[in-house]
Amino acid sequence: MTAALTPPRFARALLRLAVPSESRDAVEGDLHELYVGRRQHSPRVATSIWYWLEVLSLTMRFAPDRFMRVMRSLATGDALPSRLDLTLGVRMLAKSPGLALVGGFGMAVGVALSAGAYALFNSYFFPDIPLPEGDRIVAVGKFDALRRVENEQLLYDFTVWRRELKQVQDLGAFRTVTRNLAADAGVGESIIIAEMTASGFRVARVGPLLGRTLLDEDERFGASHVIVIGHDVWQARFGGDPSVIGREIHIGRAPHTIVGVMPQGFAFPVSHQYWIPLRIDPRTPIVPGMGPNLDVFGRLAPDASKASAQAELQMIASRLTAEGPKELAHLDSRIVDYTDVFINAEAEKESTMYAFLRFLIAFLLVVVAMNVAVLVYARTVTRSEEIAVRTALGATRGRIVTQLFAEAFVLSGLAAVAGLGMVAVGLNMLDQFMRDAGDAPFWIDSGLSLGTVLYALLLAVLGAVIVGIVPAMRATGSQLRFAMGSLGSGAKAKLGATWTTLIVAQVGITVAILPPAMLKGGQTVRMALQPQGFAQGEYLSANFFVAREFQVNASESDARAAADSARVTITTLLARLANESGVVGATITSSAPWTGGRDPVEVEGVDAPALSTRTQWVDTSYFGLFDVRVLAGRRFAPNDGALPMADRPVIVNSSFVTEVLGGGDAIGRRVRYRAYGDETMPWHTIIGVVEEFPAGVRSSGAPSTRTMYHLTVPGEWDGATLTIRLRGQRPETFAPVLRQIAMSVDPMLQLSSVRSLDAKYRDYARSGARLALFVALISGSVLLLSSAGIHALVSFTVNQRRREIGIRTALGASARRILGSVLLRAARQLALGVGIGLLTAMLLDRLAGGELMNGIGLLLVPATAAFMLLVGLVAAAGPARRGLRVQPTEALRSE
Amino acid sequence: MTARGLGEFEQLVLLAIAHLQKDAYGIPIVEEIERRTGRSVARAAVYITLRRLEEKGFVSSWMSEPIAERGGKGRRYAKLEAEGVKALRDARRAAERMWRGLDPASLRVK
Repeated sequence: MTAALTPPRFARALLRLAVPSESRDAVEGDLHELYVGRRQHSPRVATSIWYWLEVLSLTMRFAPDRFMRVMRSLATGDALPSRLDLTLGVRMLAKSPGLALVGGFGMAVGVALSAGAYALFNSYFFPDIPLPEGDRIVAVGKFDALRRVENEQLLYDFTVWRRELKQVQDLGAFRTVTRNLAADAGVGESIIIAEMTASGFRVARVGPLLGRTLLDEDERFGASHVIVIGHDVWQARFGGDPSVIGREIHIGRAPHTIVGVMPQGFAFPVSHQYWIPLRIDPRTPIVPGMGPNLDVFGRLAPDASKASAQAELQMIASRLTAEGPKELAHLDSRIVDYTDVFINAEAEKESTMYAFLRFLIAFLLVVVAMNVAVLVYARTVTRSEEIAVRTALGATRGRIVTQLFAEAFVLSGLAAVAGLGMVAVGLNMLDQFMRDAGDAPFWIDSGLSLGTVLYALLLAVLGAVIVGIVPAMRATGSQLRFAMGSLGSGAKAKLGATWTTLIVAQVGITVAILPPAMLKGGQTVRMALQPQGFAQGEYLSANFFVAREFQVNASESDARAAADSARVTITTLLARLANESGVVGATITSSAPWTGGRDPVEVEGVDAPALSTRTQWVDTSYFGLFDVRVLAGRRFAPNDGALPMADRPVIVNSSFVTEVLGGGDAIGRRVRYRAYGDETMPWHTIIGVVEEFPAGVRSSGAPSTRTMYHLTVPGEWDGATLTIRLRGQRPETFAPVLRQIAMSVDPMLQLSSVRSLDAKYRDYARSGARLALFVALISGSVLLLSSAGIHALVSFTVNQRRREIGIRTALGASARRILGSVLLRAARQLALGVGIGLLTAMLLDRLAGGELMNGIGLLLVPATAAFMLLVGLVAAAGPARRGLRVQPTEALRSE
Repeated sequence: MTARGLGEFEQLVLLAIAHLQKDAYGIPIVEEIERRTGRSVARAAVYITLRRLEEKGFVSSWMSEPIAERGGKGRRYAKLEAEGVKALRDARRAAERMWRGLDPASLRVK
């Protein structure tokens, strides 16, 4: 029989797995016979496909039968691990603490990543809406072919849908606005408000805790201003005062009467705690594709389904499309799950990328578990004599496999608990983060759900199956017969090609990911340790935004008027601040000093690729306020701001001069952004060079601190960052003063994130450190597991070759030669892995435009490769030395 | 159908074994049913049915010597047992009794 007449290997393996033992040989033989017969007149590929189909069909038919048998045996308790099995498992772990630690740590990280991703995926993509019959709440929107929200200017459609759509009840709409809330002391605070139709409360089916919800009459333009507040706000701001109904609060420019308090946890439509009626100015033209951005929602009518509602909507939509403008004709009206429009999940759910991601995350654990399986297998094999003895004493294969499974389950179970702990900490951090940001949708439940715990348990079982059952099946299979035949001689078993590949792949991955991970980690740690680069305790920073009421029919002159009023607001604020005692000065910038945009910049007359550069917009007082020294040329002057934006000069920092200009005199040279599409960007002349500020601080992920500064004039933007330098005042104590001034300048001027610059920098550095920790954890576990794999491999080889080594020592072979031959296999695999890793690293670096490793990759990658070789050889050295200690007499006596 | 009774497919398998005599194992049983009934048969159904028939005591089976063309596996031959013969006869008699007084050609759907 030739090898070509052998059916596909994996199909056979699947067949053996699926068919019960009493029929297995007969079925396998029949299929083999048919396969050989078919091969006489059919090509190999066709026959293999036929064979696979047969196997799959058999598997499908036998699977329920197999399943029932397993269930029956579980019910009778035959195959269940006993307490003794578990106790033995704990003892085995205690006996090999190295294996327990390495394997347990690796699996814990694997479980943490898989279960964490599962929890996030579920709460983001398949959330349960915690409202009565929440699954019947839907969103109605207009999407483009890719199902991404294209047009939210739905006022026209909303009015038509509201009138005609019968399959969706209580059709409502909302938009989110931010306004200043004037508290009693007159200090403004920016709050997020839902401007919502009264029907929103009917859709949510949640009644008020106090007072009433919004009514349809409240939507009438010109009706008195009312507001409903959330439970949290009621507690925090009004101390849970039961007589809060009827009180007046100032929202923006208008006083609003509190008419209701909603119960705890209510945050419909997304994460709102304030609700005011959605009022449409009667002057607003109701035409397709115009008006405010709205989200439309409703509840399916009692006898309606999503499909029937969609059909009705489709009919309305085709009529509207025929009547409406052509540029909106490609949009597709759709009814989707309520949460989908907020997370764009419609697109995510459909994409193969999403499926792939889920697979990849689940697969991660399989890789980790297989790794641990290598370690366990290496140990199980050393126990093959014990297993053989037990078999001879009458233990069934199932019994022995169960025991090995129990041992593995102890390990994977502990790892799952540790992994769940990591997930809980991670989710808690995320929850805190979202709570701080205040915009977590109400349906996101980032706690450790029962589903996640069950999933982790499933992962633990899966891990134990791979770690315990796979090696156990191998150790009790054909090798068992071999071990029984040669009891007392030490079984010879093999580590299969799959596991060798795994080790090679891991070494490769380690070499490829360690350098960028180390670089990023190093950068963030450096950043965290670095002094912040500006005087401590002197700066107060705030983001500001000059809000506008929704502009009806905003013409160009309206827009100009709005921009003018924003400019007046900002300049007035700056003037008021300048008069405050204790204020040294204030500056307006596009972002905090250590962040900023990144764009590729090219130099006039230099034929080199554009380099990605940090860009910031600052006003004339910026460098002075932060004591940034000018190394050449000058700072921005007020008359630079009189020029149109495109003609204004720029200032660069010293690393820009060395990295982009290649040194020399920078003043007078011209730079511009790389052309974007057909649009050529204007040239900017460099008028000054400043020192690095904040001294050498990099934003995470940025390859360099090279920076280009543009000039902005206060009032040009209606939202940016305001930084105030103080003397003789603490930033924290000045914060309420700033809020008060802002409120008095313009109630529509909103401030957010009013904190000392020190605190903002600390947060920034801390988030980088967290990222570095995460990266270190992952790369650490990969490194640990691959060195453990190499260790297992070499111990395995040494055990197998004890006799050969003994004889060679007896025949006078030198220690060096023996050591060399033992290490050769490990070294070959290490070298192969390192080679693959080097290539991958280079490729990744090339793909990332050379910025992944910051240009020093050429030095770093070989260094990592050498490090990996060293780690591998150290891991191999222990068992190899043990090999040298093999006494010839001892090795031969054991025969 | 009682535990001792016969399903339709079980009858087909038993009859195929009866036809094949000493040559009755998986492949020829499938072929025999397909040839005589003209319908395609799921291989797994035959194996599952054979096992069930054996549990009921209607057939017995034994493994042949390993055969190289079968990847070193033997054939599992099936043989009709007295209980099986009786069950087949009972089934046939029951069907005949039910048909009595009916003309297959004149059956109509009302």
